[in-house]
Amino acid sequence: MALSGMRGLSVFISDVRNCQNKEQERLRVDKELGNIRTKFKNEKGLSPYEKKKYVWKMLYIYMLGYDVDFGHMETVSLISAPKYPEKQVGYIVTSCLLNENHDFLRLAINTVRNDIVGRNETFQCLALTMIGNIGGREFAESLAPDVQRLLMSSSCRPLVRKKAALCLLRLYRKNPDVVNVDGWSDQMAQLLDERDLGVLTSAMSLLVALVSNNHDAYWSCIPKCTRILERLARNQDVPQEYTYYGIPSPWLQVKTMRALQYFPAIEDPNTRRSLFEVLQRILMGTDVVKNVNKNNASHAVLFEALALVMHLDAEKEMMSQCVALLGKFIAVREPNIRYLGLENMARMLMVTDMQDIIKRHQAQIITSLKDPDISIRRRALDLLYGMCDVSNAKDIVEELLQYLSTSDFAMREELSLKVAILAEKFAPDLSWYVDVILQLIDKAGDFVSDDIWFRVVQFVTNNEDLQPYAALKAKEYLDKPAIHETMVKVSAYLLGEFGHLLARRPGCSAKELFSLIHDKLPTVSPPAISILLSSYAKILMHTQPPDPELQNQIWAVFRKYESCIDAEIQQRAIEYLALSRKGAALMDILAEMPKFPERQSSLIKKAEDAETDTAEKSAIKLRAQQQTSNALVVTDQQPLNGTSPVGPLSIVKVPSMSSDMDAGDHGLTQSNGSLSEMGQHATTPDLLGDLLGPVAIEAPPSASVQSEQNFVSDQEVSSSVVDVLALAPAEELTSAVQPIGNIAERFQNLCLKDSGVLYEDPYIQIGIKAEWRMHHGRLILFLGNKNTSPLVSVLALILSPAHLKMELSLVPEIIPPRAQVQCPLEVVNIRPSRDVAVLDFSYKFATSLVNVKLRLPAVLNKFLQPASVSMEEFFNQWRSLSGPPLKLQEVVRGVRPMTLLEMANLFTNYRLTVLPGLDPNPNNLAACTTFCSESTRAMLCLVRIETDPADRSQLRMTIASGDPMLTFELKEFIKELLVAILMTSPAPAPTPPPATELAIPAAASTDPGAMLAGLL
Amino acid sequence: MIRAVIVMNTQGKPRLSKFYDYEPTEKQQELIRTVYSVLCSRPESVSSFVDADSIFGPDCRLVYKHYATLYFVFVYDSAENELAMLDLIQVFVETLDKCFKNVCELDVVFNYNKINTILDEIIFGGQVLETNSAEIMKAVEEISKLETAYTTIPLVPKSVTSWRSSV
Repeated sequence: MALSGMRGLSVFISDVRNCQNKEQERLRVDKELGNIRTKFKNEKGLSPYEKKKYVWKMLYIYMLGYDVDFGHMETVSLISAPKYPEKQVGYIVTSCLLNENHDFLRLAINTVRNDIVGRNETFQCLALTMIGNIGGREFAESLAPDVQRLLMSSSCRPLVRKKAALCLLRLYRKNPDVVNVDGWSDQMAQLLDERDLGVLTSAMSLLVALVSNNHDAYWSCIPKCTRILERLARNQDVPQEYTYYGIPSPWLQVKTMRALQYFPAIEDPNTRRSLFEVLQRILMGTDVVKNVNKNNASHAVLFEALALVMHLDAEKEMMSQCVALLGKFIAVREPNIRYLGLENMARMLMVTDMQDIIKRHQAQIITSLKDPDISIRRRALDLLYGMCDVSNAKDIVEELLQYLSTSDFAMREELSLKVAILAEKFAPDLSWYVDVILQLIDKAGDFVSDDIWFRVVQFVTNNEDLQPYAALKAKEYLDKPAIHETMVKVSAYLLGEFGHLLARRPGCSAKELFSLIHDKLPTVSPPAISILLSSYAKILMHTQPPDPELQNQIWAVFRKYESCIDAEIQQRAIEYLALSRKGAALMDILAEMPKFPERQSSLIKKAEDAETDTAEKSAIKLRAQQQTSNALVVTDQQPLNGTSPVGPLSIVKVPSMSSDMDAGDHGLTQSNGSLSEMGQHATTPDLLGDLLGPVAIEAPPSASVQSEQNFVSDQEVSSSVVDVLALAPAEELTSAVQPIGNIAERFQNLCLKDSGVLYEDPYIQIGIKAEWRMHHGRLILFLGNKNTSPLVSVLALILSPAHLKMELSLVPEIIPPRAQVQCPLEVVNIRPSRDVAVLDFSYKFATSLVNVKLRLPAVLNKFLQPASVSMEEFFNQWRSLSGPPLKLQEVVRGVRPMTLLEMANLFTNYRLTVLPGLDPNPNNLAACTTFCSESTRAMLCLVRIETDPADRSQLRMTIASGDPMLTFELKEFIKELLVAILMTSPAPAPTPPPATELAIPAAASTDPGAMLAGLL
Repeated sequence: MIRAVIVMNTQGKPRLSKFYDYEPTEKQQELIRTVYSVLCSRPESVSSFVDADSIFGPDCRLVYKHYATLYFVFVYDSAENELAMLDLIQVFVETLDKCFKNVCELDVVFNYNKINTILDEIIFGGQVLETNSAEIMKAVEEISKLETAYTTIPLVPKSVTSWRSSV
């Protein structure tokens, strides 16, 4: 072969190779770069050959990893040289050294265009190659028509046309508008009639790119693709050079089948039939042969055919044939075929009804976990993960657990996560789940993220039946000599919380449990010590009557850590010590953790996120994604624990009375209590907080008492507010069933809080938990059947006012005995309004039909967000909103007399931020807040209240916002707040903003009071 | 599409690298090093595929072939057929073999410019351009004829045994 060599280049390369170390190499390279730089400076003296030599050297240096930051101009200018060698060098190096955003490229556009429209085919090739490698948007806009012309030209040689096809593909990727869909689809179809297989291959690549974006315009290409495939598969009219190891151009076959996968379906029966004939021929006619290259080529075609068959939803028979083939592949010697067999089997999982046939190969797939090739092991792991369901979860998870101890370190984290997810999703029973997770922590503690052990704690907490078992397991692990720190944490937590359930067993007395846990303390890190201290406090609390000896032991530990340098440990030690001296009060404060609110498992969510964030356009992936959701639905429907209609493990079972541990009664009050009393817990956004925080202690006792008072006052405050607000019909009961507690009061509580009980009667309890984000809200209705027989004909209707868009998920018609059902309710606030949504709820119990209409706490203040603005911002806004309808003022009479502090406190509770000191008049009050709705978006609202110290029953209020309706609604809302309170006697305001601050006059230079007065 | 073609020797020295998506120089070198560290730890007679998501980003795969002292590596995304990529490596190597008669690492090293030219006739902007090695040879020869038409510098002698010492 006669490509010209270059002596200078060879010498330089050889010099670089002779360098003993990197330092020498750098010196040599720097020297050469200096040399080239000087040569380029007096360019006149350089012959084309020399120029070429130097730029190849530059390119070589660039490949070695050195920056070549000069000579760009020179190379670009070479493009316009008249002679081939210089032009060639210019093009080659430009496309290597520059990227599409480089400024110099713009300079070359005209020259490049000249080369393309010129008659010289070799120049055309050079120009096309460069554009194909680095052409950007600007090239696309100015050159696409010319490139298209070349591609369609009958006078051009195939060599040029195939480059033009791929060049157009590049330009299309940079700017899809350059291919005018209407005009181009006919030409594309015409291109597929091409006889030259080289041009056809490139054209097919172009088609794949086009249809992956928009297949609609290219239906006419389907029959042509089918014909091409037939021609190749039958080896008709295929030139010898285009057969590769006897296979007619495998690349073209593969591309053609790939293009077909971007069409959602092939409807024409004739085309479909002939396509299936070809596919059948490929599937059946491929054997594993000795020659590796031939094998690769024939299997490339075969695997693509498999993918197409999967895409086309062939008849079940053909699919089973495919699975059988794959089953053969995963057992062959050739590792590449094994690898692809496993990978394609995983894709096959997405096809409906194939799972069962695939499961027949489970044993072989498990064997592949021990393959010497990590790539294959990974595929096997993915496949096992994908094919796992309730029926085989036990086997697969146990295999994975076993594999964990021998697997590569690189895979262990992923493996642990997968085991945890599978165990959670498909657990046949909960004790098995606990077993698996504990084994997992035992075997791969380092790779078990906190999410995993938090999750097991949640399950145990929420399922009473499981607690003694989990505690026992935890004790068994603690008995072992050396265990992972995570195991210490989870075991200590479980024993602290539930260890007392084991009390009757030998070796499980409080004292023994304590010493068992305490033995591990010297081996663990501070975060674990915190958890151990909590466990001790719990053990102490559960030991009734108190055991003085144990008490002293534990107190000694607390005392020791009272002076610990770690603040968290120190705080816990001090608090637990103080608490444990309180005697009976300890019981209340350290009571068992309430049930965790049900939410999507963070693990499963993580896995789903990972699955969906690949944003590429591959046909198979797209399809796989569409079907993932199906797959999930399928698994969700699989009944777990026999009857539950909801997703795996999602129902919190109210504990059965028959539980042999005497925890039944206790549990019931717990589960109910968790809704109302533990509201603060339930809304903690992050579970980790729940678990890691000091157990069941939220604030120092004094503070909690205060907030209690605060709460009482709010409750009263809101109770009367809502009476005025109430546009919904009053609750009417159609039967003799009497509600427990005051429904109106419950509603009012919920207007201020985000969780609590909405309604309760002897049969049912309806709890609510809400989360509000901007103008979106998500309420969860907890429908809990309190009885031992089911509630039937359950019906929940939402009567939503016009300004709220509400969507209630399906409410089951029957609530099983002692079960709780959760129904999420999505709320979108469209515009400001004070109207209230109503839940029309009915059910039948025995013979009585109960129907209640309950106002839902999706009220205006839920869409407020406390805002904080500076004085300057406030005044700017205040000034810009001048007068009605954006700024409204009203004198309100009949206001319940209250101090400004009380008023400030009231505002704060309704999420209005009081801005102390902003208004210099101590009798006035300024506040602001942000209101969120779909029409207004997040909008700042400003409030000013002027009171008369001589007559507290009247005041003047001014409300301003950027939306007239909002201003009006907010004004009415606040007015109702202030007026309605008439009846109630005020509780002393607990945490008012310091009075002095309100009174401080602002700096004299800018007197906001004067400003406000002037503006009003 | 094909994202990159890398040819390196079994000690990790790059002999040819071409990135079809622009990467800055340092990044290129880092990628080459990472690829090498993965490849050199793979035993013989395992599959040719390596998950490359962690190296090249999501959806990237890597296929390689090991010939004597050289690794030929193609990085590609899921729009390409895995085995077809492996075949393409074979086409590349067979074409080199035809050009150099029993191609060895030194041919690749000292004919850096030729190898580039050949690769450009096989892969174009990350897409397969030509798979027929006769056709590739024809295109390459045409180019070399054009080149020699303007220059009279002779070929570098092919066997340069004195340089073999420091592979």
